[in-house]
Amino acid sequence: MRKLFWLLVAVLVMSAALAQQTRLRVFVGGQQRPDVMRKIFDLYQSKNPGVRVDLEVGGATSDQQQQYLTTVLASRDPSIDIILIDVIRPAQYLASRWADTLDKYLPAASRQNLLRQYLPAYSQANVINGQLVALPGFADAMFLYYRADLLEKYGFRPPTTWDEAIQQAQTILQRENNPNLNGIGFIGAPAEGTVCTFLLPVWAAGGDVTNAQGQFSLTVEQAQRALQFWVGLMDQRVSPPNMAEKPQDTIRSEMQAGRWVFGTMFAYAWNRFQNDADSQVKGRIGVVPLPAFAGGRQASCLGGWQWTVSDFSRNKAQAHKLVRFLSSPEVSKILAIDASNLPVFPALYRDPDILRVNPWFGQALPVVQAARARPQHPRYAEISEVIRVTTNQVLARQKTPEQGAREIVTRLQAIYGGR
Amino acid sequence: MIQPQSRIRRSLGDLSERALAFWLLVPAALLLGLVALYPVGRLLYTSLFRRRLTDETGNSPVFVGLDNFVQAFSDERFWTALWNTLLIVLVTVPGALVVGLGLALLANLPFRVKWPVRLGLLLPWALPLVFAGLIFRWFFDSQYGVINDVIVRLGGERLLWVTTPELLFWAICLSIIWKSSSFVALILLAGLQVIPRELYESAAVDGANRWQSFWRITLPLLLPAILVAAIFRTITAFQTFDIPFAMQNGGSSFETLAMYVRTMSIENLNFGYGSALAVLMFLISFVVTLVYLRYVRGADD
Amino acid sequence: MKWDHPRIWLWVAAAIVVINGFFPAVWILLTSFKTEGELTRIPITWLPDNPTFQNYVQAFTNAPIMRYFLNSLIVAGGATLLCVFVSALAAYALARLRIPNKTLIFSLLVGVSMFPTVTLLLPLFEMVLALGLRNNYIALILPHAALSIPVATLVLVSFFQGIPKDLESAAMVDGCSRLGALWRIVVPLSAPGVFTASILAFVNSWDEFLLALTLMPSQAMRTLPVGIQFLQGEYSFPWPLISAALVIALVPVALVIAIFQERVVGGLTQGGVKG
Repeated sequence: MRKLFWLLVAVLVMSAALAQQTRLRVFVGGQQRPDVMRKIFDLYQSKNPGVRVDLEVGGATSDQQQQYLTTVLASRDPSIDIILIDVIRPAQYLASRWADTLDKYLPAASRQNLLRQYLPAYSQANVINGQLVALPGFADAMFLYYRADLLEKYGFRPPTTWDEAIQQAQTILQRENNPNLNGIGFIGAPAEGTVCTFLLPVWAAGGDVTNAQGQFSLTVEQAQRALQFWVGLMDQRVSPPNMAEKPQDTIRSEMQAGRWVFGTMFAYAWNRFQNDADSQVKGRIGVVPLPAFAGGRQASCLGGWQWTVSDFSRNKAQAHKLVRFLSSPEVSKILAIDASNLPVFPALYRDPDILRVNPWFGQALPVVQAARARPQHPRYAEISEVIRVTTNQVLARQKTPEQGAREIVTRLQAIYGGR
Repeated sequence: MIQPQSRIRRSLGDLSERALAFWLLVPAALLLGLVALYPVGRLLYTSLFRRRLTDETGNSPVFVGLDNFVQAFSDERFWTALWNTLLIVLVTVPGALVVGLGLALLANLPFRVKWPVRLGLLLPWALPLVFAGLIFRWFFDSQYGVINDVIVRLGGERLLWVTTPELLFWAICLSIIWKSSSFVALILLAGLQVIPRELYESAAVDGANRWQSFWRITLPLLLPAILVAAIFRTITAFQTFDIPFAMQNGGSSFETLAMYVRTMSIENLNFGYGSALAVLMFLISFVVTLVYLRYVRGADD
Repeated sequence: MKWDHPRIWLWVAAAIVVINGFFPAVWILLTSFKTEGELTRIPITWLPDNPTFQNYVQAFTNAPIMRYFLNSLIVAGGATLLCVFVSALAAYALARLRIPNKTLIFSLLVGVSMFPTVTLLLPLFEMVLALGLRNNYIALILPHAALSIPVATLVLVSFFQGIPKDLESAAMVDGCSRLGALWRIVVPLSAPGVFTASILAFVNSWDEFLLALTLMPSQAMRTLPVGIQFLQGEYSFPWPLISAALVIALVPVALVIAIFQERVVGGLTQGGVKG
């Protein structure tokens, strides 16, 4: 009996020690609704009394955050435990040993089950070389926004192929005779979005940068056809000649003022179109997946943000618990309702509470399901630079599509070849 | 009886010139050493290694000696960046000096109310560089920029400033000259103030006109200030980053050395090569400045 | 300098300098009263269509602009004081005393500023981390002061050299030490130089972005350039909001310059103030 008593005391003492305060520090970008995040962390704290979660808010662009995090993580700073990273980063984080993979906490079978619940693109985007680097936080994709009122006026259904889209745009432009109206808006400035601009036609034709085995498979023909496609839009006057100047938000702003028939943008544009006070297109915008080419498939560019644990964290076990919580359906629902973030769980797109606040999520689901990831590679930053700068130069007529295609393929081959 | 206080003061004043010079230089040396020594040393050290954070050399750098430097010599992108940077130096240093001198002379005129002019002189400078770049990017936008708006109102055609390489270069140079002429003007204006009025008056008595007194009095006496402004304008011109970076929306059609170093280090995470490039950047500007300093030394001897 | 030409030229000269300097500032001011949509209007508008104060309200509520301003002031002020003090000492030595290898010393001094800040970032951060100085004013004041030492020293050297040596010799004959001569004679006479060096150091620190971003990132400690940059959205660059923030940031600086411009560019020297 005595032994049992002391055993109980020992257990109690140990659990008291274990229930010591753990402080976790989470880094998010300024654009990720720190107020909503704070609410979610408070919820977690109430369920886990031994844990305090602090929020560190960084700059609002992926670049600003990466700049800061590079300095911090390259110095092996242990002060940050959890980071919200862009979907293009997991491969680099793994190679740089910045992320503590989740596999040790998830035996293979449960990992399978967990990943199956998410949108398929995310289970792919976060598993690099067989290792689970991060869990999805919220989703994003590139949509084809269109002026539903204009299409209806001319009896068009939303296009499923690019040829359709071009025809519709040309017809509308001709009949409307509005000098300020343009046809198909796409991202041309050398920012990250232009990587999507280049890849969309490649995907739409059935190709990709790498094949299913992960080997480099982009050909000069595919690249050339993709570049030629966008240049062709400018040649045919479906898009104006200065597309190389336009970052995503300028397209959004112009479409909001009613000056585009079609536009390719990420999900954030929807809320601006619907809720901005000076929006000229409230209630007149629809979304569909981006069109295909004959023989290809409709594809969209995947975005979204993922939760990862820093390899320098001193509280990895607790951090992992929090990450599991943050990538759970419960949190996904809060983010959908409070921050209008697209959920990473397909089931939630039919959730009535969510649809009440964001009725358009029903239309968004097929787009997100058709989304494809940009190349996953530790040297993604270089890959991105090659693609976006060269595409921009081709759009600015500094290089021909053929020259641009050769340059892209040659330089990407060097990167994939390890040089 | 000598007071203890003045005894101390006496001994400090009695220090040999050498010793005094040493102690006067120590604070600056200490501060610079503290802030710069470790980083520069680290930089030199890293430049001798292959260290990329995107592969295993991130945690176990490999010693490669001068390989990174050899690589730079056959790196076309490096030479392009160097060439672009030299162009910027060659255009914006004289540009800023001339414009700055002009502004300083204008600002030195006998206005009744001085503050608007002086404020106009210094305001470009008070604007943080990072925003100046963004503002000029917007000014030079082909559709929404004021520059094209003015051109169109004057009957001209819209120019694609940002996406045409030649125009981009001049847009960048104009922006840099605008921003930095303020700095030059400040130094030159202070220099102008120190020139004794009597010199001009006696020259006027001797029958010299404005132009002559400018060449014979103003310029020579202003030379030390001009050289100081030139040195720092040159050093800064070598480091040009913010304006070309902001004006290209992330592009690198016109890439300077500083842009290349940053891309290599922070984006590509290739610390070894990035450090080597930074060292090369330093060496080049060091050599150029050494030439200047010979002049300065020569001028005041 | 007497002015015996038509006054009109004075006005032209003033106009050139004022327009050149104020143009972007005026644009920022006008933009701060616009709404975002107005910026992509065709044709572009110069004056705001529906002037609104909303951006200023947002600037003050979205972010603690005044706090950022205070942080910038503390850092820039501290860096300036430290830098000018240290540089004055060094400049005096270089200007007046016989030192071997002066060119080498000059070169080393100036050489520090030839390294791009971005490459010094990582090791500086490691140092700050090791010393536990993250988010501490000292972490930023010291590097900012150091970065301005070269330019401040060289400016002061050229001004010290302009002071006739006889003045100091006379003072020293009267029983003053060299250091005393420095503070009592040289510094006051080279006041324009001291003010110039101060302004240079101050604005260098005020402008600086990269180090401030990395070494003092917490919201309570951000400086103005960092704080204003962070107003940027993920995809959008809200010019009206940022313009309002810039106005709030620049107006005090402009006021200080306007009030002190006599001191900055005027002189207490024998050369005298013109006009």
